[in-house]
Order: sequence, then structure tokens, then C-alpha cells
Amino acid sequence: MSVWSDIILFTVDLLALFGVYLIINISLNIQRGFAGIPNFGLMFAIAGGAYITGAVATRLALVMLGMHTNLDPIFDNIPVLSKVDPLLQSQSLTSIALMIILLIIGAIFGAILGLIQLGPAIRLREDYLAITLLAFAEMINVIAVAYKPFIGGITGVQVPDVFAWSGEYRFYIATAAILVVAAISYVYAEFLGRSPLGRTMKAIRENEVAAMALGKNLVKYRAIAMVIGSAFCGMAGVLWTLYGDTVTPTYHRFYWTFLPWLMVLLGGLGNNKGALLGTLVFTVLDKLIIYYKHSLAGMLPFDVVWLDQVLLGLITAIILIYRPQGLLEEKPYVPKELEAKLKSIEKK
Amino acid sequence: MFGIGLPTIVGGLTWSALLSLMGIGITLLYRTTKVPNFAHASFVTTGVYASFTLSLLGFHPYWGILAGFILTGLEALLLFYSILEPLRRRKSSVFILMIGTLAFDILFYGILNIYADYLQTVFKASARAVYLAPKDFSIMGIPGIMFMSLGMLVISVLGLYLLLNRTTVGIALKACMENTALAQTIGVNVSLMLMLSWFIAGGIAGISGALLPMYIETSPDIGVLLVAEMFCVSILGGLEQVYGAPLGGFLMGFAEVVLTSWLASEVGPWIISYTPLLPLGAMALTLIFIPKGLATIKIRRREG
Repeated sequence: MSVWSDIILFTVDLLALFGVYLIINISLNIQRGFAGIPNFGLMFAIAGGAYITGAVATRLALVMLGMHTNLDPIFDNIPVLSKVDPLLQSQSLTSIALMIILLIIGAIFGAILGLIQLGPAIRLREDYLAITLLAFAEMINVIAVAYKPFIGGITGVQVPDVFAWSGEYRFYIATAAILVVAAISYVYAEFLGRSPLGRTMKAIRENEVAAMALGKNLVKYRAIAMVIGSAFCGMAGVLWTLYGDTVTPTYHRFYWTFLPWLMVLLGGLGNNKGALLGTLVFTVLDKLIIYYKHSLAGMLPFDVVWLDQVLLGLITAIILIYRPQGLLEEKPYVPKELEAKLKSIEKK
Repeated sequence: MFGIGLPTIVGGLTWSALLSLMGIGITLLYRTTKVPNFAHASFVTTGVYASFTLSLLGFHPYWGILAGFILTGLEALLLFYSILEPLRRRKSSVFILMIGTLAFDILFYGILNIYADYLQTVFKASARAVYLAPKDFSIMGIPGIMFMSLGMLVISVLGLYLLLNRTTVGIALKACMENTALAQTIGVNVSLMLMLSWFIAGGIAGISGALLPMYIETSPDIGVLLVAEMFCVSILGGLEQVYGAPLGGFLMGFAEVVLTSWLASEVGPWIISYTPLLPLGAMALTLIFIPKGLATIKIRRREG
């Protein structure tokens, strides 16, 4: 029995991580894989989504539950939540509505951050662009730590538990919510990849000059890709915060920018199946390493966590050198009507 | 004067010199290999642990400058031969090269953390909070680190200048910076030249790392924390000019130390926690208005 519950817990935990990273990686795939934006500042929108949840969730819950308090929802976070949470627990519909509203806010905030981030850099060359996006992303943590009324400074805040109504099934429901959003983003990205919009993005990625000659506005399409991608990233931040029920301004570019990059490179840039596979392989490996870490601890004169980094670096280098296209290669998508036309031309 | 004391000026000079030393390498590598080197983070951290290890063994930490230069230079060579050369031979894009340096950085971040843990358990040393300033000397109350960092900066810039302008090897290296393909046609061993530039850039980063714990408290995270700032310095000075980095470094160093301390006395101390925004904001502004960096302003004026 205990073995089974162990396995179930492991799987649920794994699926939650997998779902969040899938949303982020799909977003990266839209930005980099489709539109060619080297977004090294993914963390900006993810942390944005997470921090805005911390900033507004409790206030929003108070309004939705019709409660009034003189306490400040950020500085007197715990006392306020001790009143909000029990009430929220009994109202499943309000909880779900709160989650959906937060997701929308996160998506909008993420999209705005994406535009702010891309604004000064949109005309820069690839490497400059990557560094600028990275530097911008660093700013959000500085502000979140320094400006305490935002999410309470370095200690962070707790957010209302929107899954409390499901009682002992809380983590199952929370994971399910993450997976639903992940599935939606996957289907959307598949749809986008085949749509004229997605194909235009890919055309710009392949040859900017040719695309410009065909009258495509590079800046506009890059901005669109950035907005869509950042909105997804914002939602991922919201979901991860709601899942963990708390947020601190400690989002790090290693976990929220570099790891997604490695996963997408592992799977193969430019195709969603690759992003899915890369995410799956990566999160399973990661969770297994964490799971078996305890049996290694004590035998070595250092913390085993660092082996993660060593392995990660090695794996990435090996992929880059020996399989730069990733596990799954991008296949060009040809629309059906065009396929028929191409065949008829070939026959002639 | 404006409420700025001597210690602030000394701090500003020291920090500017250290930032410049970090930026030079990034600029040099960008000129030769065309790659923004993310591994500069672990290069600097390696320098830190070179001088920390020597001080544990009973040497004066300033011996770490030499050890840091050689060790980090070798580390840069390892990156060059294990990852960048294979990628370059496959004709990978600059972007993939950049991710290659990132992979190497993550790998070495792990290794340096393991090493710090090892020092902590075996030597019982505080390897996660390295601060060596108490071992520093001082001249007329001014800490030695200011003289050492400025001195090292002068030596590095002068050395680089002499190498690039007075020696055959340096001129070949310069040719590689200007046009790699053309340099190859006239018989320059490009691979060897790139190797040289990686050794020098890594070495200078190692020097800055070795000096760092004499000024601030460092940990295995120090490189990762500073890497965005290193890029800012390098971009602010201009990635096209090898000597631009000190310009960016001094501007940034003074803004961060002197300007912030002046603002803190005028506006209020709360402003100090926003200091990290300075380099990032300065970089964003530079990229918008003078994307080629400060060092190119003069040239532009001549054109116009």
C-alpha cells in the first residue's frame, strides 16, 4: 500500500512539474522555434505571473467573498488568509472562478511584460537580443525584493488556497488544473504552427530578408510571438504559485530560463512534439535524481544537488555537439490544398 | 564634497577596476570568436577559489592572481577545445556557440559548488562566504585592493595593447578579429589565435576573480550573480572595441558605488536596494541609443 501511495505521490508531483514546464516550453517554442526570438529572459513573464498572483490574489479573494478587513493583505498576509482560506474552502465555485480570473490577469500581465521586454531590443541582432532580454528579466526580482508592498519583499507572501475545497485530493486537482492549461497551450501551439500566422513567423525565422521582400513586417510578427509566448509564461507562473500556495521573489534564471531552453533543445526546436518529449524526458530524469539523492547523501563530501548541474551541463554539451537538431526534428508543415497543388504541378 | 567621503571614492575605483577586468574578456572573446561568453561567470568564480585555496594553504591571497590567471586560462582552453571547437567545425550558429558556453558554465557551477562543499567539510573553512579583506595590506589607510585592482587593470590593458600592436602573434590575432576568413587565406592559424584569445580572456577573468574576495564577500554563486553586470559593462563600452570595457567598467562602477551613495544621502537609504537596476537600465539605454557602445561615439561624430 505504502509503495503504491509513494508511486502515486511521485507521479502527481512529477506531472505538476511536467505540466508547468510544458506550458513554458511550448511558449519558448512559439517564441524561438517559430518566430526565432532568442528569449533568454523567459523568467520575466513567468516571475511576473507568479508575483502578480502574490500581489492581487488575496485582495481579489476578499472582494469575491464580500469580506472587509482593515488589515493589509500583503503585510498582514497570514492573519488575512486565516480568515479567507476557511471561507474559500467551502466555496468551490468561487475558488475556481478566482483561479480563472488570476490566470487571465497573469496572462495579460505576462503579455505586457513581454512587450516591455522586447520593446527596446526588437531590432537588435540575435546575440545582443538574447542578452538584453536576460538583463531585463533580472530586473523583476530586484523590484520585487526592494518594493515591499508588491509581494512583501524577500520573505514573499502566501496566496489563498484555491484548491482547498478538494480536501485530501488537493494536489491531484491542482495537478489536473496545470495539465488542463498545458493541454490547451499544446493544442493552441499546434494550431498556431499550421495557421498563416505561424507559417509567417517561421518564414521570418528562416530568412528575414526574403520575408521582408514579401511585405511581412518583422517587428509586428516578432511582437505577436512574444505576446503570445509571454502570456503562456505568465499563466505558468500563476499556476506554479497556486500549486505551491506561496510566492517568494526568488525566481532564478537557471530554473526558469536555462532549464526550459535545455529541454526544448533536447526535444528539438520548432516542433511541439519535440518540446513535449524534451520536457517529459527532462522532468522524469530530474525527479528521479531528486528521488534517489537521499540514498547517495552522506556517502559523498558534498551536497548531491550539484551533480544535477554537472549532469545537465554535460548532457547539453553532448546534445549540441552530437545531435544539434534534438531528439525529434522539425518537419515542415504543408497545408492540404497546397499539397494537392504541388502534386498537380509535379505530374505536369 | 557632496557628502562623498574618501572610502566611497576608493570603493568606486576598486569596483570599477574589477568590473573592467571582467568586461575585457567578454569583449575580447566577442571580437575573436563572435560569441557572448556565458562561462565568464564560472571563470570569475574559479579565480575566487584559486586565491581562497592558496590562502587556506598559508599563502598570501594575492598569489591567487597568478594562480587564478593560469588556472582560469586553462579552464577557458578546456571550454574552447571540448565544446567550441567541435561546434565551430560543425559550422554551428553563434547562438548555438552561446548555448555551448552556457552549458559549460552550468557544468562548472556544479563543479565549483562541489569544490566549495569539499573545502567546507575537509578543511572546515567557510568556503561559502569567502571574504579575505582582513588579510589585505593598506597604504596610508587606503586598502591595498584598490592599488592591486587598478594595477592589474593597467597591466592587462597595457599587455593587451602591446600584444596586439607590437608582436606578430598579436597582429595575426587582430587580423582574425577583423576578418576570420581573410586571415585564414593569408596563412594565419585561426584556431591557434582563437585559443590564445580564450586563454588571455579567461586568465584576465581569473585575475578579477582572485581579487574579488579582497573587496566583497563571495560565494560559488558570485559569478552567476555578476554575469549580467559583466555583459552590461562590456556592452556599455562597446563590443566592437577591445578597450571599450574599461570605459564601461568605470562608468558602471562609479554609478553603482559613488552615485548610489550620494543618492542614498540625498534621497534616502531605501534607494540602495534598487542599485542592481542601474547596470541593467544603463545597458538597455545604451542598446537603444548607441547600440555599438560608448567607445564608438567619437567615430560616429567624425562620420557625420
